[in-house]
Amino acid sequence: MKKELGCFVVGDSTKCTGCKACELACFTVHNRKSNHVGKTTGTVTVPVVPRLFLTKFEEGCMPIQCKHCEDAPCLNACTKGAISRVDHQVIVDAEKCIGCKDCMQACPFGAIALLPYAKDGRLVAQPMADEPKVFASKCDLCAGIEGGPACVRVCPHQALRLVDPEAEREEKNIKAAEALLLTKNWR
Amino acid sequence: MNYFVKGNPDLCIGCRTCMIGCVVAHEGKHIFEVDPDSYDFNPRLHVVRTVRLSVPVQCKHCENPACMAVCPVGAISTKDHCVVIDENKCMGCKSCMDACPFGAINMTEKKGRVQADGSLQKTANKCDLCYGLPGGPACVRVCPTEALSLVTEEELEGAMERKRAEAARNAYRETHPQE
Amino acid sequence: MGIPEIEDAGCLLCFGYNGADSHPIVARRIVRGRQKGMKIICADPRVTETARISDIHLQLKGGSNLALVNAIANVIWNEGLADEQFIREHTKGFDEFLKVIEKYTPEYAEPITHIPAETIREAARMYATTKPAMILYGMGVCQFTQAVDVVKGLANLALMTGNFGGPSMGIGPVRGQNNVQGACDMGALPNSYPGYQNVTDPAARAKFEKAWGVSLPGEVGCPITHVPHRILHEKDEKKRIHAYYIFGEDPAQSDPDLAEVREALDKCDFVVMQDIYMNKTGLYADVILPAAAWGENEGVYTCADRGFQRVRKLVEPEGDVLPDWKIIAEISTAMGYPMNYKNTEEIWNELIELCPSFKGATYEKIEKYGCVQWPCRDKSMEDKGTPYLHKNGVFATADHKALFYGTDWHPPVELENDEYPMTLSTVREVGHYSVRTMTGNCRTLRNLEDEPGWVQMNTGDCQRMGLKKGELVKILSKRGYCITRCLPTDRVKPGATYMTYQWWIGACNELTTAKLDPISNTPEYKYCACRVEKIEDQEWAERHVEELYDDIRAQMGIDPGKGAEA
Repeated sequence: MKKELGCFVVGDSTKCTGCKACELACFTVHNRKSNHVGKTTGTVTVPVVPRLFLTKFEEGCMPIQCKHCEDAPCLNACTKGAISRVDHQVIVDAEKCIGCKDCMQACPFGAIALLPYAKDGRLVAQPMADEPKVFASKCDLCAGIEGGPACVRVCPHQALRLVDPEAEREEKNIKAAEALLLTKNWR
Repeated sequence: MNYFVKGNPDLCIGCRTCMIGCVVAHEGKHIFEVDPDSYDFNPRLHVVRTVRLSVPVQCKHCENPACMAVCPVGAISTKDHCVVIDENKCMGCKSCMDACPFGAINMTEKKGRVQADGSLQKTANKCDLCYGLPGGPACVRVCPTEALSLVTEEELEGAMERKRAEAARNAYRETHPQE
Repeated sequence: MGIPEIEDAGCLLCFGYNGADSHPIVARRIVRGRQKGMKIICADPRVTETARISDIHLQLKGGSNLALVNAIANVIWNEGLADEQFIREHTKGFDEFLKVIEKYTPEYAEPITHIPAETIREAARMYATTKPAMILYGMGVCQFTQAVDVVKGLANLALMTGNFGGPSMGIGPVRGQNNVQGACDMGALPNSYPGYQNVTDPAARAKFEKAWGVSLPGEVGCPITHVPHRILHEKDEKKRIHAYYIFGEDPAQSDPDLAEVREALDKCDFVVMQDIYMNKTGLYADVILPAAAWGENEGVYTCADRGFQRVRKLVEPEGDVLPDWKIIAEISTAMGYPMNYKNTEEIWNELIELCPSFKGATYEKIEKYGCVQWPCRDKSMEDKGTPYLHKNGVFATADHKALFYGTDWHPPVELENDEYPMTLSTVREVGHYSVRTMTGNCRTLRNLEDEPGWVQMNTGDCQRMGLKKGELVKILSKRGYCITRCLPTDRVKPGATYMTYQWWIGACNELTTAKLDPISNTPEYKYCACRVEKIEDQEWAERHVEELYDDIRAQMGIDPGKGAEA
C-alpha cells in the first residue's frame, strides 16, 4: 500500500551531548556533489551551514529539524510556489526561492534558515547586486542520498531517530491493546 | 479527571462496528447521502488484531497529555473531562502523533480542505468522546458484544475504593484469624 | 436447541465455525456464554475470535476434520466417558461405529491433524465430562468433499455422550447464508417439496398435484452445483440445460471454478437474473429482473434453529422493482399458470396447509411468539413449536432410535504439490455479507474493506517471500488466478492461505475446485492447492487493479468515479 504520511527525524534531548556531528554530516552530504566537499576540511570552500540545528536550552540540548507537516504552514505561506510536497516530504526548490522569509515566520519550529546559495564550491551572486543569492534551507530527509538521513547515521549516541509515523502508530496501537489485557478487570 | 472509553479484549470480536459507529456519529446525516464524496471516513479508534487479542484502541484522555505538551500551535486542549484537538488550528506537524505512546492519533484528510499547492490537508484525528454529540460515545452504544465502556472519575474512584477496602479486609482477616 | 441457549451451555465445541465473521449476533452468545463460565473447545485451523477466548484450541490442519472427530470419539469411549445408558436406550449401530473408530487413537490422528495427541485427549475429556455440551459447526465442516460424514461424526459425539434432546445441548448447524434453512424448508432443493416431502414419494406428489392442479415430475432435479456440467458436457440432449433462472444468487462470483461457470453461462441459451443490484452473473443474463431488497420486502425467514420469524417491510420499494414473490407470480401468470396472491400471508397459508410439520405456524402465532420452531403441527396457540427436535432422546426415525454412522477419514481432493505448494480456503469477513450485491453497495463498509481484498498468510511465509502488508500479489491455482493484497498474520498456519469470496478483482473462486461432497453436492471451497507470486512492479499492479475495476464497472453500467450505488 502507498505510504500515506511524510516521515521526519526527531532528536532525543536525554541522549544528545551537543557534539554537532549531525550538523556536520548534514552539511557534508548535501554539499558532496554540488560543492565537492570531501572527507577533509581542506575540501570545504563554502560556508558550513547545516539543515538541522543543534539547539541549546536551559536544561540541555538537542537537534531541531523539519517535521514535514501535513498542512505545512511554510508551504501554504510561500507565494512563489517554491515549497512543494514531493513523495510526501516538504521540499524547497532553491532555484525558485526568492528569500522572502515568509516560510521562516510561518514555521513554528524555527526549522528553516536562510543559507547562501553555492554551486561548484563557489557562492552564487545575485544579478544586479554584490551579495550572494540566499535560499530557505531546511531538512529534506536527505532526499536522493544513499543510506537515508545522515544525521541519524552519524550520531554517536543514537539521539536521532527517523520516524515513519503511521508504522510507529500501528506498533504503539498493539502495545496499547496488550496493556488492555492487563487492565481488563479494573472494576 | 478526564473520562475515557476502553475496550475489553475478552468481549471484543473484532467486528469494527465501533469504527463505523464513530464515523456515522461524527459525520452526522452525511452518511446516508449517495455521493461518495460527501463524507470523510475517519474513524477515531482502531481495532487491533494480533494472535492473542482483538480490541479497539483509542485516546486515553491523559491527565498530563503528551500530545498537548508538544503541540507547537496550541491546537490541543482539555475541556469537559476530555482532551480535544482543534482541527482548524492543527497544521499536521505529527508531533502529537509521535508523542502519543498509544498510537491514538492519526492524520486524516478532509474533503475540500487543501493546501496552497492543491494537495489535501492532513490534520490530527483522535477520539473526542463524541464531544457535543447526543447520547455519549457512539462506539459504546453500537458495540454488539458490549465490549466498550465509558470510564468516569466516579467509576474509577469507586473501583479503587472497593479494592482498597477489600485489601484492608483481607489483611485484617490475616491478622485476626479467630474472627 | 435454539440460538439463545448457546450461552447457557456448560461446554461448547465450536467446529469449523467462525461466528465473529459469519454471524456476529451468534458470536455474541458465545462471548456471553464465556462470561458465564462456559468452557469452549474450538476446532479451527485459524486463530479465530472464538479460538482466542477458548480453553482448548484444536488448530488442526485443514482437511483433517474427520480424523479429529473420530479421535475424540475414540478417547471418549476408551476412557469410559461415554453415556452407555443413553447409547443402549436411544441408539443403534454403536458396535459397527466402534469398529470404525478403533484405529483413530490420538496418536494415529496426530500426524494427520497436526494436533498433539494429549491435546486431543484433553478436548475429548472436556467435551464428555462437562454438561450440557453443545456442538456448533459451520462451513469449515460443510465445504469439503468429506462434509456429510463429518456432520454425522459430530452427531456421533453428541449421541455417545447423551447430549441430545434438552436445553443447551445437541448439534447446531450454523448455516452459511441468510435463510438457507428457510430455502430448504420451502423446498428449494432438487429432491423435496416444501416441508421435506420427497418428490419421489407418490403420495406427496399426488397431494401437491391436487393442490396446484398440475402434474409434477417424479424424479429428483438438478443440484445447483451440477448446472455447469449439465450445460457444457451433458451428452443426453434431453437432459442438457438450456435456460437458467437465477435469483438472489451470483454463481459467477460465489461458485467454484469461475472460468467454468462463465463458460456455462455463456453457452446457456437463455439466462434470467433476478437481484437487487447488478452482479457478475448479470453480465451473462439475457433478462434482468430488478427485485426489491430485504427492507422493502416481507415474509418469513427460518433461523438455523428451525425458528420461523417474520420479516416486515421498512420502506416502500422505489422505481421499477418488485418483491420477489410478485415477480414470480407475474412470470408464472405469463407462462400460463395464473398466480393471484394478494399478499405473502396467502402464500404462507397455502404452504402450511400442504406441510404437516409447518401447519400450526400461522402468521398470527409467529407474530405473537416472535419465533416458532418447527415441527408445529397444531394451529391452536398452545402448540408453540418444538425447541428440541429429539426431546428426551426420542428421535425422528421409525423406531425412534438414532443411528451411529462411522466412516473413515479421507484427505481433500487436491493436495499441495511442487507447482502449487500452498493451500487455499475461502472464508468470510464480518463487514461483507455474501457477494457484493448487498454490503458491497454500502459506503462505510467499503471504506473498511474494498477491492481487491486480502489473502491472509502466515507472517513467516510472507517474510520468506519478501511480502509486506498491503502489497499486491498474484495467487494462482490449476484453474486460474487473481490479484489481491497480502495480509501477513500469525493467526494462520504456515503453508495455508485464506481469502474472502466477494471481491470482483480478488475473486478467490477463480482458484477453487468444483469437486463436491457426494451427498450434499457442496463444493470443496475450503481446500485447494495454490501458489502465491510476488509482483515486482507494484505501481503497474495498482494501476492494473484499478483498470480491472473500472472495466467491470463499465460493463455493469456503473458511472466511473461514482459508488456502485450511483
